[in-house]
Amino acid sequence: MASGLGNIVAKEIKEMFRDPKILLGIVLMPLIIFPVMGAAMNVSQTAVEESMKKVPLALLDLDRGPMAENLILTLRALNVTLVEIEGGNVSEALERLQGSNVTTLVVIPPGFSRNLTSGVRGELEVYSIIEGLSFSEGAKASVATAPIDAYERILVRRTLEEAFPDRPPEVVLDPISLRSIIVFKGKRVEAPPGALMGVFMSQSFGFPMLIMLMLISAMQVAATSISIEKEEKTLETLLTLPVGRLSILTGKLAGSVVVAVAGTLTALIGINYYTTSIFGSVPVEGLDLEALGLVLSSPAYILLGVMMFMTIVSALALAICVAAFSENVRSAQSLVAPLNILIVIPSIILMFADVEILPFPVQVVMYLIPYTHSIIAAKAAFAGDYFIMLRSIAYLSAFTAFILYVTAKIFTTERIIAARVSFRWLKRKRGRS
Amino acid sequence: MRENAVEVKDLVKVFGDIKALDGLSFQVREGEIYGLIGPNGAGKTTALRIIATLIKPTSGSARVFGLDVVRDSPKVRRIISYLPEEAGAYKNLSGWEYLKFMANFYSEKGGVEAMVEEAAEISGLGERLRDKVKTYSKGMTRRLLIARALMTKPKLAILDEPTSGLDVVHAIHVRKVIKEYVRKHGVTVLLSSHNMLEVEFLCDRIALINKGKILVEGSPGEVKSRYGADNLEEAFMEATRLG
Repeated sequence: MASGLGNIVAKEIKEMFRDPKILLGIVLMPLIIFPVMGAAMNVSQTAVEESMKKVPLALLDLDRGPMAENLILTLRALNVTLVEIEGGNVSEALERLQGSNVTTLVVIPPGFSRNLTSGVRGELEVYSIIEGLSFSEGAKASVATAPIDAYERILVRRTLEEAFPDRPPEVVLDPISLRSIIVFKGKRVEAPPGALMGVFMSQSFGFPMLIMLMLISAMQVAATSISIEKEEKTLETLLTLPVGRLSILTGKLAGSVVVAVAGTLTALIGINYYTTSIFGSVPVEGLDLEALGLVLSSPAYILLGVMMFMTIVSALALAICVAAFSENVRSAQSLVAPLNILIVIPSIILMFADVEILPFPVQVVMYLIPYTHSIIAAKAAFAGDYFIMLRSIAYLSAFTAFILYVTAKIFTTERIIAARVSFRWLKRKRGRS
Repeated sequence: MRENAVEVKDLVKVFGDIKALDGLSFQVREGEIYGLIGPNGAGKTTALRIIATLIKPTSGSARVFGLDVVRDSPKVRRIISYLPEEAGAYKNLSGWEYLKFMANFYSEKGGVEAMVEEAAEISGLGERLRDKVKTYSKGMTRRLLIARALMTKPKLAILDEPTSGLDVVHAIHVRKVIKEYVRKHGVTVLLSSHNMLEVEFLCDRIALINKGKILVEGSPGEVKSRYGADNLEEAFMEATRLG
């Protein structure tokens, strides 16, 4: 019987990896799509930055005073491309800018220099000509803000140096230094609380998303593996061969697990590339995760692996069980699609909340769904809570055993040949209405 | 006295409101080619599926070389080979790989390579066996499947419409292969067919079946003479008219 099982597993793997839909859609696509997405985001981000550097700034000086002159000199020193408009009023200046590549006009109104030198707030006007609603248009609108802010800081610094010649301006501006210390489960690490929130967010969103992504596509693969036997009329032959029906079921399951694991690995590589290419340029605030006990220990790693494996096996067994009632690939995929609710609902709820804070009836429903336990166990892995992880693995194993038993029962009866889910009653109902 | 290869007794199969088999009984002798002949829905495929251990009878019994198809189904599967009507093969495997995959299930008999070589000869597909099944025509696929069904030298080959949908060239090849192989290896064949020409060419004995019951049984010559018919089609029409 073992040779029969091995024979089926080898054939399943060979067939699946040769199916262009599976090879491309499940295994290779994440390696292509995520880096392409990352590259596209990077290209557009770089393009916006580049276009911002080149955007010239029009300037209409109606003040003609020393501070206006000082502002213009500072902007030039900051490498801003200035287009000075001589004479006329604001309306005429805006009219002149129509159709040109200059979309921002800074107006220095009369009295700007007098106000600043006499201790009154100076006023500048910035006109932004918006032509579209894209991100780059929005970025252009703020092109004048950064150099004007820089000029403002220079003015403040100069004023402080004059008023307090014996003190550094930074001390006057920011007299209190704040040390932020995170205390997590009794362990202390110096870092802003936001840094830890980032880690929690990646767990709250990252794992449910990963599990959701992995299971939804893997279930379709498993459903296809059984329904294609029906569609291509190979199942009848297979069931009359000298091989146990449980071996056929297990072989199909094992083949699907191999594809699912390959798909998950490529998805992880793709997602990793995507996130590093997007956030790679953003400086991450240093946080010693090890000091906070937030680094996975070896037992947690092993349990996490077991949990992920059991999650995949249970989902695939469920998909095969449901697909046993289909006539062809299309009907199998329709039958399996509603099962996604079992994955999507706990994933979404657990992104925002822990099970314990939910109303009791919702808690019961959530605990009955096996994939709730997958997400809970993934979170528990980081907290080092092995009991929760073991409990989740036990539930997933029991669920998988039950599904395998039911599926094997279906495989050992003629239901596998005769079972069909009929939608006729639905059609009749629709016909009547 | 030789043992009966197949013994079917009072076989009844009900699907919901439909009685597919209504007390079907017949015997197939070892080494003969026996044909079940009848119109669509007569119950031929249902009878073959029960004997092939795919489905269970509602009542009655079927035995293959003395083994009960329900109780002893794993043992029955070791000695039979079933070719369903319109069966397919795994499209992403080559012809060779498909045959090897199937032969591996019979590795206890030994000589997987020999079985595959035998199948290659039966199929007559030559170098095309290296190509993936998805590139085969319907006729080529059927030849591959016939070769698969016979390569293990089963004690009983159950062939449901072996030449259904094939052109003349492929159909003649398949019939010749079945006839020669059976004579050479003493395999017993139970087949179903619509094609009276095929039945007359292949079968030692036939049973005309309608509405799940046998109307008449005997050699093609005996059946024709019973109804004074020139051919089996006329005999069949007469038999169904008389009920």
